[in-house]
Amino acid sequence: MSDLLTILLVGIFLPLFPMSMVFNAVLENIKPNGLRVILFILWPLIGLLIALNSDFSIPDWLLPLALSTSLLYAIRMLTLREVNQWSGFLATSIWGLLWLPILQGSSAELLYSFAIGMSVPLVLLVLLAAGLERRFGAAYTGLYGGLARTIPRYAWVLVTVVVAAIATPLFPTFFFMLDMVVETISSTPSAALVLLLIWLFWSWAGTRLIQGLIVGRASNSKIADMDMTSVSFYSIVLIALMVAGIYLAGAIL
Amino acid sequence: MERLIIVVAVLPLISALFIQLFAGHFGRAIARLSVAMTTLSFLLSGLLLALAITGSETLVISLGSSSTVLLFDPLSTLLATIILGISLIVHLYSVRYMAEEAGYGQFFVLLDMMTAALLFMVIAGDLITLVISWYLVGVVLYFLLGQDTRSQTAYRFAFWTLITYRLGDLPLILAAALLFNAYDTWSLTIIFNEVMANPNAHQVLGLPLTDVVAALIGLAAFARSAQFLLHTWLPYTMDGPTPVSALMHAGIVNAGGFLINRFAPLFIHSSEVLHWIFIVGLITAIFGSLLMLTQNDIKKALGYSTMGQMGFMIMECGIGAFSLAIYHMFAHGVFKGTMFLSAGGVINHAREDDGIPKDELYTFAVEKRPNQARYPWLLMAAVTLLVPLVILVFAHLLVSEDYFQKQGAIVLLFFGWVTGAQLIFATYKMRSQNVWRLVGLSILSLLIVVLGYVFISHVFDQFLYPDAAFQAQLYSAANIDALSFDVLVVIITLIIVSGWGITYFSEQHGHRRAQKSKRLWLNFYALISREFYISDVYTRLSRTLLTMSSRLNVWLRWL
Repeated sequence: MSDLLTILLVGIFLPLFPMSMVFNAVLENIKPNGLRVILFILWPLIGLLIALNSDFSIPDWLLPLALSTSLLYAIRMLTLREVNQWSGFLATSIWGLLWLPILQGSSAELLYSFAIGMSVPLVLLVLLAAGLERRFGAAYTGLYGGLARTIPRYAWVLVTVVVAAIATPLFPTFFFMLDMVVETISSTPSAALVLLLIWLFWSWAGTRLIQGLIVGRASNSKIADMDMTSVSFYSIVLIALMVAGIYLAGAIL
Repeated sequence: MERLIIVVAVLPLISALFIQLFAGHFGRAIARLSVAMTTLSFLLSGLLLALAITGSETLVISLGSSSTVLLFDPLSTLLATIILGISLIVHLYSVRYMAEEAGYGQFFVLLDMMTAALLFMVIAGDLITLVISWYLVGVVLYFLLGQDTRSQTAYRFAFWTLITYRLGDLPLILAAALLFNAYDTWSLTIIFNEVMANPNAHQVLGLPLTDVVAALIGLAAFARSAQFLLHTWLPYTMDGPTPVSALMHAGIVNAGGFLINRFAPLFIHSSEVLHWIFIVGLITAIFGSLLMLTQNDIKKALGYSTMGQMGFMIMECGIGAFSLAIYHMFAHGVFKGTMFLSAGGVINHAREDDGIPKDELYTFAVEKRPNQARYPWLLMAAVTLLVPLVILVFAHLLVSEDYFQKQGAIVLLFFGWVTGAQLIFATYKMRSQNVWRLVGLSILSLLIVVLGYVFISHVFDQFLYPDAAFQAQLYSAANIDALSFDVLVVIITLIIVSGWGITYFSEQHGHRRAQKSKRLWLNFYALISREFYISDVYTRLSRTLLTMSSRLNVWLRWL
């Protein structure tokens, strides 16, 4: 019974459906961006902290549930148009997969590195969404579009961050996914196939998000583009993420 | 030499980074830097190719203590030179062609990134580098095709391309994971050596690992090279800039042929998979050519022509003619790149002269020119069938006497035969005043093309697969049993001979089709004009998935 309760508790932070809905409900009700950033960083870390410090046996149904949760949110992301909500669903889909290295007995250090490496692009996306809300009143795809012409620097950063978030080489999530496929292919080939499917849906959802925001004619009204200091900040974080990805690859592959 | 190889691969990356950082300071002049870097990289790769031709040993270069390995072998040096050559032409063309476009600097950044990704793909000596570069080619292509950020259509079809490419990434990732699990290394050289030493050492789900991995590699190649059912993106990506179309059709789409060649040591032990590859290639070649003939949009017709050519290239792999596929890739790349880059000129020329041949009745009644002579259909049919066959057999015998021992060579001979016959038939249909002169010229050009093709492909064979035993293994892996093959040869010969006979006979005696067969032809034409409804099926499936996603969100209250 206590095992089940622990799993239910951890399942809130390392999302397992239906507990996964808690994170998205919390995200929807938190408006200050600072709190959102903290939420994105701390949420999976809390889950890992509890999971790694609790003594509980893992049932057989956990792996299918974790994969199904991740797949469910990957599919649901396809039709989301609000950027914050999209980030929340992607986070739910990604963090749910952290159960896999836990099941394989990966080291705590590696698990925390994975969690942070996968959350940082989402944090950047939340910050960018806030910038869009300031400029346009909403961070919504298909509403205004044409960012590539209206605010090209902002669009460039936004595209790169989305690309980083959806597990594109050389960012940490890519190496995490590659490692998970390698680890599961022999023992549970079906899990490897589901992982690849989830990965495909992330790419699909990511391109829909990009297209809904950057494609289209330039806006007539004058809107301030991102200043060079912010561009430098985002660029440095993205480069650091790539370096971290390569470092992680060296450690796991 | 190791440094030279690294420099060749890294130069386009340095160029991309430099342009990204300093495009604002140098303006449009920054494109010259990109051209200069590509030129330098091309010259260095040419030097490497020269070294490889003069017999330099295969080199495996490890980057530091990581598992990243670069491979210097005939395949990688040849393809690196081809990629850089095509990329250089595209760079030079783009300097002026893209000058009026927004995002000029960004375009060159992406072009350099694409060149770098393709280079790393061909020189990758380990599975991780291969998977990463394979993946990145799709991502960079998406942004290159969407260079015009105002165009929703360009992005729509760029998305089709990306999703098909992502579908093709998945089997490659699976293959890499399976190989790593079996051999505990990412190094391609070590894996291939172990496969050659003991091909049946590992099994997956009760099947030989070599078969499973070869099938996955085949699937990855199909998606990248627009094989039937995974082809719908190719003809529709024409909204991208012309230089990107040229690069895509001349280089990127050929990656499937490269991948199969790279994994040749696995395919030697997977006969069944090679047969499937042949069938898929054949279907693609037929459907691509069929769809090309019915297009009224020149760029779309070129797209389907590429699909047909890719089918032919994959089919060549399926019959064991691996090096021929690489030659085909090179020849098609040069040919198709030229066509795309000169498409603008053709359109300009067409505005002055539509080039449509005049109707026979018009030339007789209005221009008062006599009707052209018609030669006996039986004579022309015999010439059409025999001359190409004689040329092909003669050319192949010059290269190697035992050439006809290889089943693959005979399959290719059939295709050469049909193509040659088509050329002479087309000449005959022109009904010139001097038919024999035209036919003679066609035969001469056919002779030059066939001799060139046979000799150059023989040289490619010797260069890429110098080990005669390995080469023979490739061909024999693709073989089917002798009796079935002979029966097939006889049946196909009869079909070809009777087909041409009927064609000439009906050409000579006029087309009198029954009403019923006319309707059948119209229905068939309608089917082709809708491109067999394949894109419509995919669109319907995508919409169903999106509707499901939307409903799930509503049911679960967006949480």
